[in-house]
Amino acid sequence: MHDIFVLAEHREGELREVTLEILTLAGQLAEQSGGKVTAVLLGSGIDEYAGKCASFADRVLVVDDPMYKDYNSAAYQQALVELIKAEKPHLVLIGNTGQGVDLAPSLAVELDVPYTSDVVSVTLEGDKPVATRQYYGGKIDGRIEFKDADVYVLAIREASTPAGEGGKSGEIQKIDNPVTTEVTVRKFLEYVEAAIGEVDITQSTMLVSVGRGIRDEKNMPIMEELAEAMGADLSASRAVVDAGWLPTDRQVGISGKTVSPKLYLAVGISGAFQHVTGIKGADVVVAINKDPDAPIFQYADYGIVDDLLKVVPALTEKIKEMKG
Amino acid sequence: MNVVVCVKQVPDTSDPDVEVHIDSSGKGVDESKFSFVINDADNYAVEEAIPLKEKHEGEVTVVNIGPEAANQVVRMALAKGGDQAIRLDDERFAFSDITATARLLASAIGDLEFDIVMTGCIASDDGYSAVGVTLAQMLDLPHAAMVKSVEVIGDNKLKVGRELEGGLLEMLEIETPCVLTIQTGINEPRYASFKGIRAASKKEIKVMDLEATGLSEDQVGEAGSTAVMVEYSVPVVGELAEILEGDAAETSVKLSGILKEKGLV
Amino acid sequence: MNIEHGTFVEKYDLLGCIQCGRCTGGCPVTVRTDLNVRLFVYETVDDDRLEALSEKHEIWDCTTCNNCALRCPKGLDPFEVLLGLRSMQVEEGNIEPTAISALESVFNNGNPWGKPRALRCNWMEDIEGVEKVRILEKGEKADVLIHTCCTACYDPRIIPLARNLVRVMEKAGVDYGFIGEEETDCGSEVRRLGEEGLFEMLDEDNTELFDAYDSGRIVCLSPHCYNTFKNECENIKTPVLHYTELVAEIIREGKLELTGEIDSKVVYHDPCYLGKKNKVFDEPRYILGRIPGIELMEFNQSREISLCCEGGGGKMWVESESKEQRLSETRILDAKEMGADIVAVACPFCLLTLEDALKAKGFDEEMRVADILELLGESI
Repeated sequence: MHDIFVLAEHREGELREVTLEILTLAGQLAEQSGGKVTAVLLGSGIDEYAGKCASFADRVLVVDDPMYKDYNSAAYQQALVELIKAEKPHLVLIGNTGQGVDLAPSLAVELDVPYTSDVVSVTLEGDKPVATRQYYGGKIDGRIEFKDADVYVLAIREASTPAGEGGKSGEIQKIDNPVTTEVTVRKFLEYVEAAIGEVDITQSTMLVSVGRGIRDEKNMPIMEELAEAMGADLSASRAVVDAGWLPTDRQVGISGKTVSPKLYLAVGISGAFQHVTGIKGADVVVAINKDPDAPIFQYADYGIVDDLLKVVPALTEKIKEMKG
Repeated sequence: MNVVVCVKQVPDTSDPDVEVHIDSSGKGVDESKFSFVINDADNYAVEEAIPLKEKHEGEVTVVNIGPEAANQVVRMALAKGGDQAIRLDDERFAFSDITATARLLASAIGDLEFDIVMTGCIASDDGYSAVGVTLAQMLDLPHAAMVKSVEVIGDNKLKVGRELEGGLLEMLEIETPCVLTIQTGINEPRYASFKGIRAASKKEIKVMDLEATGLSEDQVGEAGSTAVMVEYSVPVVGELAEILEGDAAETSVKLSGILKEKGLV
Repeated sequence: MNIEHGTFVEKYDLLGCIQCGRCTGGCPVTVRTDLNVRLFVYETVDDDRLEALSEKHEIWDCTTCNNCALRCPKGLDPFEVLLGLRSMQVEEGNIEPTAISALESVFNNGNPWGKPRALRCNWMEDIEGVEKVRILEKGEKADVLIHTCCTACYDPRIIPLARNLVRVMEKAGVDYGFIGEEETDCGSEVRRLGEEGLFEMLDEDNTELFDAYDSGRIVCLSPHCYNTFKNECENIKTPVLHYTELVAEIIREGKLELTGEIDSKVVYHDPCYLGKKNKVFDEPRYILGRIPGIELMEFNQSREISLCCEGGGGKMWVESESKEQRLSETRILDAKEMGADIVAVACPFCLLTLEDALKAKGFDEEMRVADILELLGESI
């Protein structure tokens, strides 16, 4: 029996995409091992998620109780320990997310089982998992082998496996809350959105950055539209800030801010050294510049050599289309 | 308020031009060209701890696992306001995984009197984001990870904000003593001047070897690990930007497709 | 903070000040900031006020251009008072994150740009007409030991300056050499940012490093490195030159032929650290005058009264809060008005700040900023 548990992640009325990604991964592993995939859903009033999970799992275990209404790692951990002890899955997969990193390591210690995190790929060798992780900011990969155990807990990186199409029809099983005592050491209060109008680009996960190539302030609106379509914040090179088209707190570079977004889209930015040192934390850099020799292309992962006035509106349209 | 802060010395590999070469053993890297710095998130943890002890009277103890060269980051933390330090140093600690590392920290911290243990939320070399939370469970303490705000609201209570995807903050109350893993950007770390670091070398750094921790050899290092990194490899990756060809209509389709694939849109 | 009584008074000879105001009267940044250096000299006499004064943001607006020191009838260096106040903030740890990054990088990597030391010599690869750039062994003899400058080693815009310097050396048959990977930050900007302790360490390290080589002269690409090694590192015994002094010498000696024509109106911008600070005005002009085709022009504010570009004094890392026009933009507008095709400089910081201003003003299609080394490179 090599069953796989996947903890479903939900927040503020939404089942997070990472759940479907990891269920897909679990499905691939289960095919190999001949085990079953169980989605574990803890929450309150969560029937709508159960159905979605069921198309990606063989079974959905639902614990619907006010105790789990809002994420609280201490409460969730108590429940998971009971469920895992009872059901004895071989693998427990949790997203390496804001919720996941707060829960998975301590869960593993309480169960006294092996754990590793931020896994980008998992395979089974025999019946043991073998994980691949990245080291030194992704410059090299490492292979993780586990000591023998009955259960392994792994935290899986978001977007490392694309979510499949689903197509299963898992059995939804509502079970009683296995936990009777409320957690007192930690109490959820509320969610707070990032304040509107106060953008700290050092904390932005997506940045659309404007450079001198935009030529004129009257072209700024197309950048604003692109940023909005992408759900990104606007940042700029020094030239644009000096010209007064964006405030100084949007300046990226050696005398401005150092940013580390998942995506840095540099538009009309030549890539002067003083600017690019500010983006060394970016995961993916895309550059749009009509000069094929612009230094920015040495720092970018993807590039488009073309007039930004043509590309940016086209890109905005495509992205709006995609988002539906 | 007594705070324990765990600091790690890591190679500075953030610059895209820094190359990481796997050594002949396959389990290590060539460190000869690296410069070493305090782990970024730990630097923020130090900066979060110091004002707490200044405002609420107490001491900050700096804890590190590392060789003598790691004194560089320990002294920097002491210069910024740490009161004393413990450095765990023993060859047998090498190759410790998340569990063994946390166990080592627990052995040094368990006997101390503290209200909060702070660690950085992630280390830039291994990127585990796990040691702090593992440590909490080993010490049987409540914890909160990815902390973006800390407020003392009572004798034994903190109001803490955890950073979630999209910048959303999860606000919670937590009892002390507890463990918090600190997210970057929570504050603005001060500078430790050259003179200041030199002056801090007068503060005590207690060095603990395996015997001093009270642990046995099979509880540390690779022997004490349950998830072992057995081999590094070079990822297959491109060098220069992949230039997308075509006119604006075509390249915008290609780019949006790539962004979607990467989960960025 | 613990301030010993009378520290500033003694260190900066404050009681010698007669409050004439010539310093502030000549300070170029007063057009765009609240900085009043005369007032700082006056107020820092009072130890109890030092902490509050050190927290004023305008102390970071000073570019250390040296105008105040030049104009002071009592021979004081008013700007040093501002550096002293910066030091206080440094010891408190209370400086801009951008300055922190630069200083920590100097300590960790030997350069303020966050770049690895291991890549310091990458710029030496594949230089036109040069088989291999000579890196000296310890104790090796060379007439000229070149100190590259961190910015010239790592910034792709400034690397061509270093490469052209090598081409010039080779063409002229100069017996030159470089230190290699061990070459490290001169400490000029470290000291300007107020990090006295780190500067002292660099001074010691560089003095020891230069001592290990048997060289006739140390030649610097940047006026900032030049000024620090020549005037601030007291134990460096070897004579220190700026490259313009060496190149002027080799042109005079007939060792360098400048044949390529540059048909342009060129206005030379005196870098503060080369001109005002060290009185090297003629050599750069001599070199430009020897390049065929160049019509050399002069700014109204040139030589001793050259308008600072705001690149020095730590300003590459600490921005002013002022929203007023940058001095570099004023300079570019002047050059445009004069009808200049090229603004020639002899300093990496001038090059970067003036070029930024050029782009901000949108003149980059009609005018360019070039270091003398780049023009030499086009002419040899």
